[in-house]
Amino acid sequence: MPSSTSNFKRILQLPRLFFRKPTEAESVHGGPPLEFERPIPQIPWRGMTVVVVLVVIAAAIAWEFYCRSIGYAPTLNNTEDLWAMARQRVQPESVVIIGDSRGWFDLDLDELQKGLGKRPVQLAGPGSCPYPVLADLTNDESFHGVIICSFTPRLFMAPPGSPPMERAEKNVRRSQTQTPAQRVSQYLAMPLEEHIAFLKQSDLTLEELLKRLPIPNRPSALIPPPPPPYFQTIDRERRARMIEECARPGSELQRTIQQGWIPLFTPPPPPTYIPKEVFMAQMMKAIEQRFQDVAAAAQKLRSRGGKIAFVRLPVSGELKVLEDRTTPRGQIWDRVIKDTAAPGIYFEDFPELAGFNCPEWSHLSAGDSVEFSKRLVPHLRAALGM
Amino acid sequence: MLFNSLTFVVFFVVVVTAYWSIHSWTARKNLLVTASYIFYGAWNPPFAALLFSTTAMDFWLGRQIAKAKNQPSRRAWLVGSVCMNLSMLGFFKYGNFLLENFQWFLARIGIIYHPPHLDILLPVGISFYTFHSLSYTLDIYRGVLQPTKSLRDFVLAVSFFPQLVAGPIVRAGDFLPQLVKPPRLRVGQFMWGLLLMTLGLFEKIVLADTMLAGSADRIFGYAGPLVALDSWLGVIAFAGQIFFDFAGYSTCAIGAALCLGFHLKDNFRFPYAAIGFSDFWRRWHISLSTFLRDYLYIPLGGNRAGWTRAAINLVIVMFLGGLWHGAAWTFVVWGLLHGFYLVIEHASRALIGERAWTANFAVKLLLGLITYGAVCLAWVFFRASDFTIATRMLGGMFGGHPHGDAILATREMLQIGIVTFLMMLAHWSLREINVETAVTRLPRWIVTTAWALMACAIILTQGSSNAFIYFQF
Repeated sequence: MPSSTSNFKRILQLPRLFFRKPTEAESVHGGPPLEFERPIPQIPWRGMTVVVVLVVIAAAIAWEFYCRSIGYAPTLNNTEDLWAMARQRVQPESVVIIGDSRGWFDLDLDELQKGLGKRPVQLAGPGSCPYPVLADLTNDESFHGVIICSFTPRLFMAPPGSPPMERAEKNVRRSQTQTPAQRVSQYLAMPLEEHIAFLKQSDLTLEELLKRLPIPNRPSALIPPPPPPYFQTIDRERRARMIEECARPGSELQRTIQQGWIPLFTPPPPPTYIPKEVFMAQMMKAIEQRFQDVAAAAQKLRSRGGKIAFVRLPVSGELKVLEDRTTPRGQIWDRVIKDTAAPGIYFEDFPELAGFNCPEWSHLSAGDSVEFSKRLVPHLRAALGM
Repeated sequence: MLFNSLTFVVFFVVVVTAYWSIHSWTARKNLLVTASYIFYGAWNPPFAALLFSTTAMDFWLGRQIAKAKNQPSRRAWLVGSVCMNLSMLGFFKYGNFLLENFQWFLARIGIIYHPPHLDILLPVGISFYTFHSLSYTLDIYRGVLQPTKSLRDFVLAVSFFPQLVAGPIVRAGDFLPQLVKPPRLRVGQFMWGLLLMTLGLFEKIVLADTMLAGSADRIFGYAGPLVALDSWLGVIAFAGQIFFDFAGYSTCAIGAALCLGFHLKDNFRFPYAAIGFSDFWRRWHISLSTFLRDYLYIPLGGNRAGWTRAAINLVIVMFLGGLWHGAAWTFVVWGLLHGFYLVIEHASRALIGERAWTANFAVKLLLGLITYGAVCLAWVFFRASDFTIATRMLGGMFGGHPHGDAILATREMLQIGIVTFLMMLAHWSLREINVETAVTRLPRWIVTTAWALMACAIILTQGSSNAFIYFQF
């Protein structure tokens, strides 16, 4: 048996690595090319394949009919690649809409084009903080166009690492790193999504269906509230429109979505693992930082001839009460307008904008979004000097 | 291009149709080379040039090794190949890691140095294709492979798209012989390839991404302490996720290759039914473990020089195996833990020997579960992005945070439990056989139903675009 000393000496003989003929054992394991062939199960493949293809086609057709029967219609998915495509359409002098889902639903591209002379690029998105997109545009030295920023206080001030920030950051990142394969996949997916109702990533995937199972959670479990179900269609320009069922007064879908907003817009409790005062101090610091960052971004844009306007879009019902209580106008909106020295249009300040009712409390119906945009245009023209 | 993308579906249909429509074997191989480079370039076209340059270099170096008149020359050419491949890997994969550690080391001795951060984009699959290519020169040097005369054939061996970016690590010596004669289109082989692709995609997008990934991500991404149940479930979810993710990719690769008439070896063989860690590494990422065994462990002396040397060799091999997975000390700890496990196992075997009671099924099951538990513990370091997270996770798992948070929904806990139970059942049922044997033995209606259900589940899941975990390696 070799001693530890002899082992130590052997360790020092490192040049031996790769520098010798293989042993017999190695030749068996790693060496000569083997005539390797995978076994193939001997079963009636043709018949089985035909059956599988027929069953899958039949199941897909049945699932499509069922989804349509319960109110789903074909529409595009709001994917990072669709966003990246929209971002690639931004020209140096474009009009760009950024922000949350209210800017996504409530601003009609046709009306804005008529009024502003340019067709806006829609970069707003559901549950998104506008800041990452604002930073992306203002860091783009070639961009000196117009930004219309939808302003929902809770989302606007979302701290780093929160889901609203991450959603927007993912979109920006995808637009910067999108591969040719991802672009092609998006082009291939769009015609399918425009014709097949069950292709709904936010609602009808296996994962989303499992989430709907009525399984109670542990009382102590910290489970984030679920996002609202499908209630909009999206086109290739990312223009979102509320579906009729949601806009129909008193519909079940409308009630479900209304009740969903309350937990989503209620401030979450502070984390258990950080002292409350420390957490509040961190939050205050993050909020202050956001004010400064937004002001700096606005200044950067203006310095090269660009413009930005903030728009507070309609909100109704209990959600408005909640927002006014938890994110008062004086503390956030007024501060942003003051710090950025940018024009702001607050819907309640103008009677022609204040009279709209959001069916599910947070967004305008498809029809109202057109009328609202028509009435908003003069204010935007005045604010932006267009 | 991801297997679970519409681009790949169209790409694959076009390539397979064109491939089997062309009569000339040379034209078919040219088609595969072109398709493989399109497949790779679809991520980042300039990196296709990098892939070609390293391949061409190894082709040339392989010929120089074979032509060399004496041993020192052969050795010099081999060193050239090893240095070229490893320096490429080192620059792209470990550049910033080395700089950061160099900076840390200087700080320890009182020198403050701020190196510039290298903005290096990691070429997808570089760890895999480097090993594909390196196996060629190593085998020529070892005298077990003749260099091919065709650059095109070698380029295809390295870049063959099913195994290009995430394995299995197919050695040139296993692939090049398959390029000599054109394969014939066989219905059974083609359909089995399609079934394997369905199984692989099902593992990836249904089981890994849909059933397990969300829970694992939330647990490992949570900033606070977690209760033991959630911590354990997060780790178990990751253990399942990484198996289904990687085994799913390998199964897709084997299936896609079969559809084109090529035979790739298994990369996984029901690893969570392993009894002991040697057994685990004979079942997990087999192409990597055999690569490390043949080109590192055995040349280091293997177990031929006594127990101590074998133990040191094991630890060295697993250390480098850990580092191969990623430029982070957490991967190194993961590798070292496995090295440590293997040493303990070898020592135990030497002490206990082959006893009759170890053949008892209950004992085997117990040892298998201990193996699984230890493997899960090691996964904590593999998944955690830093040691703070890893230690917090371990603290939670061993009751260190009785007042920690619970963040998993009951549905998620059920998903993890059910999928893991079924996975373990499948692994233990099939541990002595292979999928082909199981499919042959099963009643036809079960195979047909399972195939149809997997395809329906894939459609229902709508193929999320999550990249395979091993792409980053």
